[in-house]
Order: sequence, then structure tokens, then C-alpha cells
Amino acid sequence: MKKIVLSTALCATLALAGEGGGSFDQSKFIPDISLIVDTSFVHRNVSNSDLDNNAPTSNYGNYGTFKEFNRDNGFNLNYGELALHSNVDQAFVLDAVFHFSAGSVEIEEAYFTTKTLPYRLQIKGGKFKSDFGRLNSHHHHTWDFVDAPLVYNGFLSPEGLNAPGVQLQWLAPTPWYMRVGFEAMQKGNGGTFANDFDKKDGEALYIGYLKNSFDIKDASVLLGVSYVNGLSNVKDADTSTQLYKGSSEIYGADLSVKNYFDSYSYISWQSEFLYRNMKSDDKLLFDDKKQSGYYTQLVYQMDESWKTGLRYEGFLQDSNGVKTTADASYKTSEFAQIRLQYSHDEAFKLRNENKAIDEIILQLTFTIGAHGAHSF
Amino acid sequence: MKKYIFTLLLPLTLFANLSVAVSYPYIGALTKVIGGDKVDTVVLAKGNWDPHFVVPKPSLITKIRDADALIMNGGQLEIGWLPPLIDRGANPKIAINAKTFLDLSQHVELLQKPLSVDRSGGDVHPDGNPHFHLDPNNILVLAGVIKEFLISIDSSNSAVYEKNYTEFSGMWNEKLGLWKVKMAQKRGVKIVQYHDVMAYFNHAYGLTSIATIEPLPGIPPSSKHTIELIELIKKENPCCILHDVYHSTKTAEFISEKSGIKVISMPHDIGALESIEDLVSLFDYLTSAIK
Ligand SMILES: [Zn+2]
Repeated sequence: MKKIVLSTALCATLALAGEGGGSFDQSKFIPDISLIVDTSFVHRNVSNSDLDNNAPTSNYGNYGTFKEFNRDNGFNLNYGELALHSNVDQAFVLDAVFHFSAGSVEIEEAYFTTKTLPYRLQIKGGKFKSDFGRLNSHHHHTWDFVDAPLVYNGFLSPEGLNAPGVQLQWLAPTPWYMRVGFEAMQKGNGGTFANDFDKKDGEALYIGYLKNSFDIKDASVLLGVSYVNGLSNVKDADTSTQLYKGSSEIYGADLSVKNYFDSYSYISWQSEFLYRNMKSDDKLLFDDKKQSGYYTQLVYQMDESWKTGLRYEGFLQDSNGVKTTADASYKTSEFAQIRLQYSHDEAFKLRNENKAIDEIILQLTFTIGAHGAHSF
Repeated sequence: MKKYIFTLLLPLTLFANLSVAVSYPYIGALTKVIGGDKVDTVVLAKGNWDPHFVVPKPSLITKIRDADALIMNGGQLEIGWLPPLIDRGANPKIAINAKTFLDLSQHVELLQKPLSVDRSGGDVHPDGNPHFHLDPNNILVLAGVIKEFLISIDSSNSAVYEKNYTEFSGMWNEKLGLWKVKMAQKRGVKIVQYHDVMAYFNHAYGLTSIATIEPLPGIPPSSKHTIELIELIKKENPCCILHDVYHSTKTAEFISEKSGIKVISMPHDIGALESIEDLVSLFDYLTSAIK
């Protein structure tokens, strides 16, 4: 049903974009539209069913492998992402991102942002990706690697902190860049803060962060700290048995240094550390859990076309091992990218036995439509 | 109470200079010339890097955060980097359509407006070639536009802006005469470029750009295109390759070696080369570059 409504809306929009003409022509008001298609070929030494049916799960446990993209051995069509962007009027901007995948359509994001608030304040509302941490708000097609770091998947869920809510940000009048943000979000998109998709009685996530940046010559330094807390009400998706009940908080710290050599090449070093503290409501049923995870990565953009990266990551408590990832990508233009990634993951457990995953992914990403911003 | 605060603040705002953020150094220079000591200028992009590929660093948000006005080149030259800065700058004064926002491209005639655009033709500029400031005649037009803009947001200093403009245009007209004489015997000379940055300069002085080293706008050189270009150069006999300062000259040097053609470095903005300190030295250099 959702799909039908959406495709009708899409057709209407595209029909508008066509040859209009006449007194009531509205084609000049078409929003910026872009479509991103991500497809891949995956080869890994673990079967699809072993990957899906391993314990413990990612939802509350130590580390699982629940994947959103590149799930299948073989060919994958990960998504078609349709993004719309336009001013609503003099006061608001509207952004919407629709995620089309094999069997479903999802409103990944749909939010307004204010434009005219005083005192360098901005309010965002709707469904959006939280600005928690360095990576959470970044869309998949702007990532430096094919997949998210394990600690993001495990603590924040493969979709990250992304839910209906409201955000208030303040740009401080400091000599360097400093942004302070607060968010309140409806809980329930997996990860630490429940996979309970039942009706929720105002159980919210509270998120806060502080982001700083300054330049030293041609190098930009980014320093951030983040915090989120909320209830963990985790149930097994199939059997509805309670897997965890308690309250949880996650602390994050990130540091990036990106040095530009010229207009097209840079080297960047980016690291992030997340610490999670889960307090059980009933110690007889569930234990308290403390765990932390990290990743550190080095990325070298050689010229307009070639880029390569190396990532090292793992967990500090309840850790089985580390994961190492290397990738190289080539762009034929700003709008098409082909990437090859290899990873060796010793953090994985198959039915409580250690089992290293070796994985090769060949990924193709295409963009058509509106010119997006260069990433930072 | 409120009144009291107001009277305290008023003298401050009266004496505070207008703070204007601009995208590129040449706009900064024009704003400084017209604004004189009434305007503080903040330039966002570096003059020696590719104007198409400015990095939207967070530190740039700090520069536009408190600006009273923003002047940009326009013609989609800033499409990849300025929109996210404006979005995140939380400053209503620099919003598109604000009275304190100026898009220079709206005030000059753009060359090479494509009738239809398609990305199989490269990363084309859909509104036409945006490198219009490299026609020195346009500089005078832009100075006038900036003068009117400053007067519209700060009428109390209009006499200063008018005076500065009159002085500048007198000086510039004199220079235009000199450059015209210098370039007169170059009319009809054929040249090769990396990207068609010099289109307006060529248009002003009758140079003919026969080809670019990039096979399509925004697409890096390919060996096939380079071989074809060498053949074309042997046939057409252009005087030289006018090369920007931010792309690698590797391919140009290879072409030069194979065809004997000269490679001349052409600054596109103030700061592109160390010796280019202002608008006059930019065009002094450009009009002397082809020997
Ligand atoms: Zn261009």
C-alpha cells in the first residue's frame, strides 16, 4: 500500500517536471530531486543463513552481524534512494529521503529545518538521522567504506539513531566552529534502544552533543562528544520474548584530522570511541552491561578519481577480536563510483564459536539528478 | 529597561563596519575597493585552488555565521560547496532571496548557455559559463553592481561608495585602454586550455579556444583524447596551452613535448600565483602572458 501511494506521488511529481506550459504551469517549483542507486556483488566465507541465525543478536548482546546492506552472497540491489529538497517558504526548508529496497519503501528521513530563527539557532523536526557522533547523520553513499563500523551497527543499529523527533542546535559565537545540539527522539529503531515496534507511550531518547572544528594551515581538526540515554526494552522480533529491560546510556567521542594537499587530494585520519552502560531493571532476569567499541581509519584521496582507505576496529569488553577493512574506489565523474572492499572480521561468533569472516564487496553507486554538495 | 539596552547598543551598531562574506578573492577585492573603510570583507575560497572544488570546511561556517551580507559568483560555480554552508550557517542575512544576498551572475550576460544539458556531456555548467570575471570589461559592471548593493543595505555611507566607485572606474577604464592596445595584435590567435576558464577573456580579446585537455567538463584527461588533441594541435597550430594553476600540468607537458607547443600558466583569481595581489596585477599578467 505504502508503495502504491508513493509511486503515484512520484509519477505526479515527474509529470509536473515534464513539458508544462500554459497559464498554470508550475514546473519552476519542482524541488531538487536526486536518485541514488547502490548495487553490489558480495563474496564471503559464511553462508547467508549462518550470518542471520547466529547468537547473540546485535540488539542487546555483545556483537551481532545484523546487516542492512550487502546481505546476500552474490548480487545485491541495496537500495534506490530518492531525495527531495526545497524551500517550503521564507521560514522553512523541507528534506525528504525515500528508501526503496526489494520489498519495501521506507521514509528514511522527512524533516523541516528553520531558516530565520535569531541567535544562530536552528530547529529541525520530523523523522531524521540524529547528529550523534561523527557518522550517524551521514548517508550510506557518503561513507568512506561500504559498511558502517561494528560499534555503530551494534550500539546504534544498522540504521543508526533515526526516528521521529525534534532537534535544537545552536552555533556558538566562538572564534572556532562550535555547535551544540539537543534532540528528543521516539525510541524504537533497533540497537540498544529496543526493537520494540509496538505502540510507545512517549518513551523518548534524549541526545546531546558538542561539535568543534578549527584549522591548522590546510588541515581541519574536528572534535566531538556525544551522549544519548533512553529505555532499553528489547524483545525478540519473532517470539516476542523479553531479551532485555532496563535503561541505557551511550557516550561518544570522536576526533578527525583532514589535511588537504590541493583541491583534489587529502589524507584524513578519523577515530571514534563509544561507551555503553546498560542498567537492568531486574538483576535477577538480566545483568547490567558495560561495553565499549572503537574504530580508527585512514583515508587517502589521491586525485579526482582515486581514493583508498584502511580501517581497524573492535570492542574493548566482551571482545572476540578485531576487524580490518581495506578499500579502493574509482570515480568516472562526481556521479559514479566503483569500489572494491576487503575485510577480515575476527569479532564474529557463529553459534558461540569464534569464526572469522572474510568478505569481498564490489560496489557500484550512481547518482542522477540534482548536484549534491561535496562531502566533508 | 528595554529602552536602556537599546541606547547602549545603538552607538555600537552605528560605528560597526558592515561585514560582507564573499565566495572568491576577486569579489573580495571589488568589495574592498568599493566599501573602503566602511566594510570588512571575509573571503571563503582560496585563490590558488579550483573554484569548482572548494571544500565546505566547518571553519567556513564560522566565517559566514555573523556576516551582514553575502556576495557570490553564481552561475552554479558554488553549487558543490556554498549551499551546505548557507544551510548550516544559521544566519538569515545570507539566505538566498534575502536583501543582503547578492548573486553576481544575475547581472552579467553569460556565454555558452547550453540549450539542453545532459551529464553524458560532462559536469556542464547548466546556466552558462560562470567564469565571467575574466573579461576585464565585466569587472567594471560587477563593481557597479556591488556599489548599488552596498548602498541598498547601508545607505548612510552611499556617498563613500559612490566616490570609491567613481575613482575605481576611472582607473579601470584607463587600464582597459592599455590592455586593449596590448592585446590588439593577439586577435585571432588560437589557444588550448585545460578547462574553459578563459572563455570571457578570449571573448574580450578575440582569442580562439580550439580545445580543452579535459575531454569533457569536469572529467580528467584520457589518453585517447590526449592523442587526438596532439593531432589537432599539429593541424591547427595554436600558439600555446593556457593552463590553470590548480590542475596537474602532467598531461599538458606531455602534449607540449609531443607537439612543441608552449604551456603558459594562467592565474584565474587573486592569489592564484604569488605575484597576483590585486585585480590590476591579475589582468596585467593575463594580458602579457601570450608572447
Ligand atoms: Zn567551469
